Amino acid sequence: MLGKLIFQNLQKFGFPYPLDKSICSGWAKDIPRGGETIIYTSCMYQTASLSDIFSKLTPYAEKLSAFSAFAKLIRPSKEEIERAYTVLRNISSMLRNRGIQFGYLYEEEPYSGAILLELGYLDEFAEYAKGVRDFLKQRGIKRVITVDPHTHNALTRYNEFINFDIEVVSYFELLGEIKPRIHGDIVVHDSCLYSRFLGKREVYRGLLNSAGLKLVEDELVTGKDTSYCCGGPIKPVNRELSEKIAKIRVEQLRKLSDKIVVVCPMCYANLSKYHKVLDFAEVVE
Amino acid sequence: MSEWDIAVERTINNNVPRVHKILSQYPYIQDLARELRKAKLEVINNLEYFTQQALESVKKIGGNAYYVSSLYEAREIVGKIVGKDKIVVMGKSMVAYELGLREYLKELGNQVWETDLGEFLIQLANEPPSHIIAPAIHMTKERVVKLLRERLGVEVSDNATHEELVAIVRKFLREKFVNADVGITGANAVAADTGSVILVENEGNIRMSTVLPNIHIAVAGVEKIVPTFYHALIEATVQAAYAGLYPPTYINLTSGPSSTGDIEMKRVSPAHGPKEFHLVLVDNGRVEVSKDDVIKEALLCIRCGRCHLHCPVYRALGVEWGRPPFTGPMGAMWSYVVHKDTRPATLCTHSGNCKEVCPMGINIPKVLEKIKWLDNDKEHNKA
Repeated sequence: MLGKLIFQNLQKFGFPYPLDKSICSGWAKDIPRGGETIIYTSCMYQTASLSDIFSKLTPYAEKLSAFSAFAKLIRPSKEEIERAYTVLRNISSMLRNRGIQFGYLYEEEPYSGAILLELGYLDEFAEYAKGVRDFLKQRGIKRVITVDPHTHNALTRYNEFINFDIEVVSYFELLGEIKPRIHGDIVVHDSCLYSRFLGKREVYRGLLNSAGLKLVEDELVTGKDTSYCCGGPIKPVNRELSEKIAKIRVEQLRKLSDKIVVVCPMCYANLSKYHKVLDFAEVVE
Repeated sequence: MSEWDIAVERTINNNVPRVHKILSQYPYIQDLARELRKAKLEVINNLEYFTQQALESVKKIGGNAYYVSSLYEAREIVGKIVGKDKIVVMGKSMVAYELGLREYLKELGNQVWETDLGEFLIQLANEPPSHIIAPAIHMTKERVVKLLRERLGVEVSDNATHEELVAIVRKFLREKFVNADVGITGANAVAADTGSVILVENEGNIRMSTVLPNIHIAVAGVEKIVPTFYHALIEATVQAAYAGLYPPTYINLTSGPSSTGDIEMKRVSPAHGPKEFHLVLVDNGRVEVSKDDVIKEALLCIRCGRCHLHCPVYRALGVEWGRPPFTGPMGAMWSYVVHKDTRPATLCTHSGNCKEVCPMGINIPKVLEKIKWLDNDKEHNKA
């Protein structure tokens, strides 16, 4: 059972699948440990590229007793790690350049539990959320700056299941003025969660526009109700379906621009298979 | 590209901009949709009361009304009314498909014809429908040419136009309408206060199915009940607009068997239309779901089919997603309502487009999340 497996892994490795957690914190060097305000990565950017490998292994995971030991050796490639670290360092420096002070929990940072929520393991999610809340409270954390939509969505939904009084803010909302790192037309692939569940579609679009980047729009491709999905969230359940959705999505986006910009590590991982994709934090500073 | 990919892309390109235009051109439709949601929710929260009221209202206007809890009861009642060796014309109905009425009536020895063009093509091809209002959207024009040639034995040119294809079917079905003994339709809405059934359409096939035969049977899920005649008219308006077919060519309203008041203004029945009217209200899982705070929202669906064309999973999987006729995001909910099948919900990738476009404001991903939880719960129980 997928949920049971994920829940066991969360207890054992602090992540939905076996993982060497040093991968998660390697990007941060000079950020203070802890503090009242923290940047919260949930190790999403750092491990997004592994979702592909683990979706292939999931059907066999329960049958292979050696799975955990073997899987823990699986790492993103050097290039994938470097890219993820660059994104996170860019986010971090954009925030600091605007005078925002924050700490980081390094290897102690817990995973948000997003995958349990998104796969409908609501009881497990509630139980897991309690643990994350208690952990954050014990460290005196009052404010969390998220960097991806899945983590942001999970944390903002904690209150439906448990009492959670820690402020959650997306890094987009703290940026203000930004400058472009690239030039020319871009097409934005919206994050489903940011765009249609969390009301942040205009936040990152506004930032990109104000940076002088020209967003190419099409009613059937980039509209709020038509911009589809990268297929990432369904990958643990049906890999083939996930890939088909990603392929269709890339074909649609490429008709508008070769420069596809995303705001979510899962979108990045899923769409990258079919085209070069850029993250928001790679196109602005 | 597969035939499905071609057909669904053409459909989306034809339909989605048209709906956007309708909603901006006729802004009152969105107000009506909000009003309808409130009215339907009132019924769902008091289903027993409104079902009883609808049954009594149909009887008061000279019709026959039945409440059935299972598909077997529904088949039995319809089978008794129809009998055998009859010609039956059917207007497209998801409930009729859900109940397996076409096949059941054929087994009883009747000749049964679907009269909605899409559903007729589906019948000829012996395939399940792929979309709730356009059942044959998975067929390209090229495929339809081949199908009509093979199954009707008529000459159809490879380059036949859409208009020519429609004319071929029109000619074939005209004879069926004229000779039909029974017309069976669904219902877009049933007004509890008057017992009226409302049906919205464009082809004219429902108009003929409800008027030409001697007997008209309407089958509808209990969730189709709305409090008043006024709300029934709203439902037709909203459904047509969100389906991208506004104004609809026809809105048909049936209140009991045909009647006239032309001699001394005394209302007598029958007149030119059917001499018998029957309404079969079906539970088949709906009542149980109406008691679940989250999943009951599924019962608000007005079958406009808009969510389908905005959904990445439906686009990728088509008819493979859900249990026909319950495909697409609404179908993932309804596969659970009717069949207690939780698996389609597990394929929701929560893109949220369906939530954005649903005229009834159903948070479909939230409903599917609850059904996923039930699916997981089943796994817990197995473990």
